[in-house]
Amino acid sequence: MSAVVEAKELGRWYGEVVGLGDLTVSIEPGITGLVGPNGAGKSTFMKLMVGELRPHRGSITVLGHRPFGSRPLYRRLGFCPQQDALYEHQTGRAFVRDIMRLAGFGRREADQRARSAMERVGLSDAMDRKVSDYSKGMRQRTRLAQAVAHDPEIIVADEPLTGLDPIARRQTLELFRELASDGKSVILSSHVLHEVESLTDTMVLIHRGRLLAQGSVREVRRLINKHPSRVHVKARDPRRLASRLLDEPHVTAVTLGADGEDLLVETQDVGIFHRRFGAVAGEADAGVRSLVSDDASLEAVFDYLVG
Amino acid sequence: MTMYPLELLRGTWLIYRMHLGTVVGSRRTLAALVLAAAPVVITALASNFGPDEVTGEMFFVNIGLILAMGFSVPLLSVSLGVGVVASEAEGRTITYPFTRPIPRASLFLGRWLASLTLLVFLIGGCVLGMAMAADLRSPVPEGDVSRFLVACLMGVTVYSLGSAVIGTLFKRGLVIALGYAFAVEVLLSIVPGSGRKLTLQHYLRSIFLEGRDGFFGIDDNIATRFLMPADDAMLRLCLVAGVLVVIGTVTVSRKQFVLSS
Repeated sequence: MSAVVEAKELGRWYGEVVGLGDLTVSIEPGITGLVGPNGAGKSTFMKLMVGELRPHRGSITVLGHRPFGSRPLYRRLGFCPQQDALYEHQTGRAFVRDIMRLAGFGRREADQRARSAMERVGLSDAMDRKVSDYSKGMRQRTRLAQAVAHDPEIIVADEPLTGLDPIARRQTLELFRELASDGKSVILSSHVLHEVESLTDTMVLIHRGRLLAQGSVREVRRLINKHPSRVHVKARDPRRLASRLLDEPHVTAVTLGADGEDLLVETQDVGIFHRRFGAVAGEADAGVRSLVSDDASLEAVFDYLVG
Repeated sequence: MTMYPLELLRGTWLIYRMHLGTVVGSRRTLAALVLAAAPVVITALASNFGPDEVTGEMFFVNIGLILAMGFSVPLLSVSLGVGVVASEAEGRTITYPFTRPIPRASLFLGRWLASLTLLVFLIGGCVLGMAMAADLRSPVPEGDVSRFLVACLMGVTVYSLGSAVIGTLFKRGLVIALGYAFAVEVLLSIVPGSGRKLTLQHYLRSIFLEGRDGFFGIDDNIATRFLMPADDAMLRLCLVAGVLVVIGTVTVSRKQFVLSS
């Protein structure tokens, strides 16, 4: 499969502030989560992807095109920006319709596509209201509607779940899944890891303008094997269990929780831990109530990686 | 590449259509309407209550030169022209046209033409209104009205283009454009030498006052003595407009607009 986005030694700065340092990354088709804390460089990377900015160093191609001012690319790309900006005097439908006119559609088809996109993002009832009367979540969905209405091959969405209520969030996640199942590529950014985790296993971790890790959650996990994995255990007698666990060579630390039931175990090899835990807990007769491993949690991976 | 002119034309038309309604319906337009009406009202008052020895033509010429051409034309053009691209960037909506398959230059041209349409109506109405108001005193020669109309329309074209370019290039475009129109031009026009040829007012006056010996009712007025032939002035303004269109479209095609999230 050929990559939809190829960045080589990509750099972009704002005066003396580095937006993106030296990013080399290749993004394959499908859903990809672009993850990093605020200020990591996600938005800068996305602005370079859609040609809002030009790189100061390195190069970037999207679907084989250099993005800045590339009209052929813009026929194939939809961008949902993070900034909460719309043409306030327009209705949601008129806004998307006008954007579709700019995308090259005739008046009638632009209107049909606008209507259908607004329905798709769950704004059927509100599409003929002025966007200035919309809530933050409705405005976010309107931005998403203009990004998908022309049926692009690749959708770049900057923090698309911010400001959405739980129902809208579920609808939006479902929309991304539908788009992916239709063969579209979706690249979405988020600083909330579980949002991305619920949608895709493929992610790109950016921190301080550099690529921190890329791949599936498991692959990323493999990269950080030298870091201990954490397991939360609830037990009737956590002290006894802790004492026994510390005899295990793969366990590096055990921390007792303040409530007298919790135990946080750090292990160098979570596989061995899970294989051995049953026997160890039985020997300790500690009354284990729950066992939650955050090995697969993006949050934990991210915490480890950024130190 | 051969399709570029067609795409530019189409993009410009679409942007023009999109923004004409916005321009006409904005609050700034209401203020512009008041500004455009001021010379008409003053001419009407002068015609009704002015000294008996002053003719309608004199009212039309003098109020037209000082208030309409010297004040309303630059002020309206700057206020409606400077935001052509700048307001899209400040409103952070520029992302939408810039990530669509239209030439970036379309945004500059389409939005400037939308502003120009409004300016033409405002200033055209102002000039015709002034002529009608001056007619209340005594008839104004048609030649005066048509020359003044042409000069004012050239004025709004070039001033608004210049303001649009300044707004695209600089962050404080409004201050710079107003500074040029009301400080630099005034300064250049009073400094001896050929400095006045760097002012737009010089060319606008040349178009309007060609063949006149003076205004304010004074023959051989010094202000008209150094003017140039109307055709030359017209040609130079057209050249300036062409250069400004090129600068504006090239700038908007190449410039990166860094928008805050």
